[in-house]
Amino acid sequence: MVAMIQKRGLRDFDWLLAFLAIGIVGFGTLQIRNAQPTENYWVKQLIGLGIAIVAMLLVALNDYRKLINIAPAFYLFGLLLLVIVLIPGIGLRINGQRAWIKVPGIGQFQPSEFVKVTTAMMLARYFGKHRDGVLTLKEMAIGGLILALPIFLILLEHDVGSVLTYLPILAIVIFLSAIRMRYVVGAVVLGVLLLPAAYWVGVKTHLVKNYQQERINVILDPENADRRGFGYNTWQSILTVGEGGLLGADTSAAHSQSSLKFLPEPHTDFIFAVTAGNAGFVGCILVLLAYVILLSRLIAGAKRAPDRMGMLVIMAIVGGLTCQIFINIGMELGLLPVIGVPLPLMSAGLASLIATFIAIGFAISVQLRRFVN
Amino acid sequence: MKFEDTSQNLRSRLWIVQSLILLMLALLGVRLYYLQLVRGQYYAEIAQNQRIRLLPIPAPRGDILANDGKTALANSSPIYNVILSREDLRDRKLISLAKPLAEALAVDGDILLDRFEQIGSQPAFESILVKQDASPGDIAWVEAHELEFPELRVEQQPQRRYPASGMLAHVLGYVGEISPEQLKQPNYKGLKPGDVIGLSGLEQTYDDYLRGKDGYRKVIVDSRGRIQDEIETIAPQPGQDLVTTIDLDLQNVAEEQLRTSATKRGVIVALNPNNGEVLALASAPTFDPNLFSRIGTKEGRAEYVAVLNDPQKPLINRAVQSRYPPGSTWKIPMAVAGLEQGAITLDDSNLVCGGGIMVGNKFTRCMGNHGTPDLKTAITKSCDGYFYRLGLKMGLDGIMTMVDEFDLNKRTGIDLPNEVLNMTPSRELKKRTQGENAEWKDIDTVYASFGQVYDVITPIALLRTIAAVANGGKLYVPHLLKELRPVGEAGAPDYRPGRSFQPLDSTRPNPKVLPIPEDIHHLVVEGMWGVVNNGGTGAAIRMAGFDIAGKTGTAQVVGLGKDVGKNKDHSWFVSYAPAYQPEIALVALIENSGFGGQHAAPAVRRVYDVYYRKTRNAEPPGALPVAKTPKPENKTPVKKPETQIAQTAANH
Repeated sequence: MVAMIQKRGLRDFDWLLAFLAIGIVGFGTLQIRNAQPTENYWVKQLIGLGIAIVAMLLVALNDYRKLINIAPAFYLFGLLLLVIVLIPGIGLRINGQRAWIKVPGIGQFQPSEFVKVTTAMMLARYFGKHRDGVLTLKEMAIGGLILALPIFLILLEHDVGSVLTYLPILAIVIFLSAIRMRYVVGAVVLGVLLLPAAYWVGVKTHLVKNYQQERINVILDPENADRRGFGYNTWQSILTVGEGGLLGADTSAAHSQSSLKFLPEPHTDFIFAVTAGNAGFVGCILVLLAYVILLSRLIAGAKRAPDRMGMLVIMAIVGGLTCQIFINIGMELGLLPVIGVPLPLMSAGLASLIATFIAIGFAISVQLRRFVN
Repeated sequence: MKFEDTSQNLRSRLWIVQSLILLMLALLGVRLYYLQLVRGQYYAEIAQNQRIRLLPIPAPRGDILANDGKTALANSSPIYNVILSREDLRDRKLISLAKPLAEALAVDGDILLDRFEQIGSQPAFESILVKQDASPGDIAWVEAHELEFPELRVEQQPQRRYPASGMLAHVLGYVGEISPEQLKQPNYKGLKPGDVIGLSGLEQTYDDYLRGKDGYRKVIVDSRGRIQDEIETIAPQPGQDLVTTIDLDLQNVAEEQLRTSATKRGVIVALNPNNGEVLALASAPTFDPNLFSRIGTKEGRAEYVAVLNDPQKPLINRAVQSRYPPGSTWKIPMAVAGLEQGAITLDDSNLVCGGGIMVGNKFTRCMGNHGTPDLKTAITKSCDGYFYRLGLKMGLDGIMTMVDEFDLNKRTGIDLPNEVLNMTPSRELKKRTQGENAEWKDIDTVYASFGQVYDVITPIALLRTIAAVANGGKLYVPHLLKELRPVGEAGAPDYRPGRSFQPLDSTRPNPKVLPIPEDIHHLVVEGMWGVVNNGGTGAAIRMAGFDIAGKTGTAQVVGLGKDVGKNKDHSWFVSYAPAYQPEIALVALIENSGFGGQHAAPAVRRVYDVYYRKTRNAEPPGALPVAKTPKPENKTPVKKPETQIAQTAANH
């Protein structure tokens, strides 16, 4: 039996998915090195990749159903981590956000990245039961509650960016859990109509703070924004991307936007701008294509999943990843306000890397079990 | 679908999700196309500009040298300035730095605040001067507080130095930062705020030559403005050294004479009558040009304000920027013109003195009664009565012709800035000063003929006139530039050739030749020789064997010859020597000191003494004691004030 699984494992293991992810990380590590040639972030990233691959294999070779069955335990553990991070002395405060835990030896660690996976598992478990009818209001409320707990804790960290990447996880799960289409259409229409109105009200009532308002103004008109103040990050990112041209900037690495520290956080939040500067339009399009293939591959896996739970866990992961990719790159291209969201697989950062690989491990595990039963 | 799908069209929902994802990533692709391919060039340029900075390397300004070509009168030596780099200040409030810096570096906080506020409107990457000429203590403080004030830096800068005594201050001028108004002028094209230019004196006139061309370092800076790398360095091109015509020995004695004069205010100028070179130019009181480099400090600014508001106007170069009635010195060009115009002749130059003249109901006195003197005697004795009548014979038109021939209605063209124009007699002048209906009358001609009321000229213009009489009619443009030395290799693109003096107005003849017939010249010179050597009004300064020819003068301030305290007349003496082979011409004016023969002539004599020792290698015959203050000399009795004019009503 074991031998059969091993044999089948080798055959059904989604090598393309795994190597695509590893390839993106490899390319990202190169860019991390370009961004900060004098720092050892790229070495840490490689070490992280090693850990991430092991984690991915561990998850992939285990039956996802067993894991999802004990999802409440993971979920609670995740919440515990989010509480721990709030404790001064353990939680590190960086850029005004208390979102990191100091881990001796490795450095810092962002639990909200992990909790994303445990939350996705929890949602998949709850909504993954056999479904006959449409989604009830009660189900939606419980789904909302599952999401609300970690979001509440993350908001206490002032990490608005992470919260934004949580929302699509629930949205996609609900969408695929037979919510009535009219609700969906209604929500979209309402959102389109209400968002500007809500912003306007927020501005008037000062619920949207001045700095947040400035960040949004920067996006609406980056050319005329305060390039030394609120618009600085966006402006420098646009410059770095633009300088890349078709095949990358012809500036020596030591004189690049990131080496000279014009571009902030080049190895984490602004890694795509670094890539755009070094590899140009061609490189960027290749990276986007790689993400498209990766996401398509995941969706294809979801379609072939043996059960609803497997489908949901993969699609929740897809939703989270897509949202992160879009918010991060959109921000770097001056389409979205500056929000501290890492680019999956490319930004330096252990938690994000390992969490993404665990998620991919889930997807592989689901596919490995598609003929079991 | 592997599992039983009874829920609502899951397959199409997955398809919607997938399409949405593709759409989002495609949007990013379009945005990339716009940023990188459509606008790429534009952003690349901005990105490059923000990391490349040109740091100017100030060019050393050319030295200003005495006529020996060796002794520096003004030069530049390095000082250290504390500056604030703006780029490092991104997240710090500039204003909040003013107070701690003012206290730590002992600079005026208000001046610093002003500067900080002004710089707000300047383009980025300009650094701000916090303290000029920082002391070693200041530099140590900056280094010790590197962490607290990382935006502070110490920079070397060439600093202009002048003789602290104020010697030659009016000739040398001074330098200072270019003003916003000057930056807009075409002749300062290519300069930037903070650049140093000549603001007065030779520094201003020859600024283009003295000022070198700044070099620069093209460097790569990081976002904090810290230099990371140097791409290229263009060395600065030094300015040209300027050799002046100033003879330091003569200059020193001239300045000393003014310093020790009765009122300590006046002018002494020495000129080479054969080419117009100014050998000495002293104007008193003077000022310390170095103070302009201290203007950024509290004390420096107070000092500057004090000099600016000093009622004695030390900043004025009295030789070219002040006008005085020439008094009896005016009689020399009058004599030449009178002969040339035929108002008097060589054979018959006698005119009645009459102790004065009655014009209308006004009697204008002569100081003595000289009978019917000839021209020579009239000059020697400074007979006013003679010249009243000569003036009337020449008429206003004759006097105006003389003014024009001697260029007295023009500036001399000396290579110093802000030379003022003389006031010379004309009908227009009278109308302008006394109203539209004031007609020119004979009494006006009388006044205009002996150097009062309508004749108001600069000392340099008077000296130029006498120098032309001395050399037989060549009116040279007085100048202080002997040579501008070349810089660089001949033929190289940045070679700056040497240059000698040329009139700043290139259409101006140098010299302007005024043909004075030899016999006329001879007669006038005899009269001037007699002033010193034949018992004339300047007899006190006679030097046996060195024929000084000259003329005393007394410029009316309130009422001629009246001792009205500080408003006494100005004392003139204009001269040259030797009389028949002129080498040097000298003018002295001591303000408000009274009679010319008593104050100005002895001052001039001491300059001649130095000149004589220098050129003859011998003690001058009958040298005056090197006294600190002029006192009555043991010579022919001092003349009483030579003329007196009763302008109001004088019938006696």
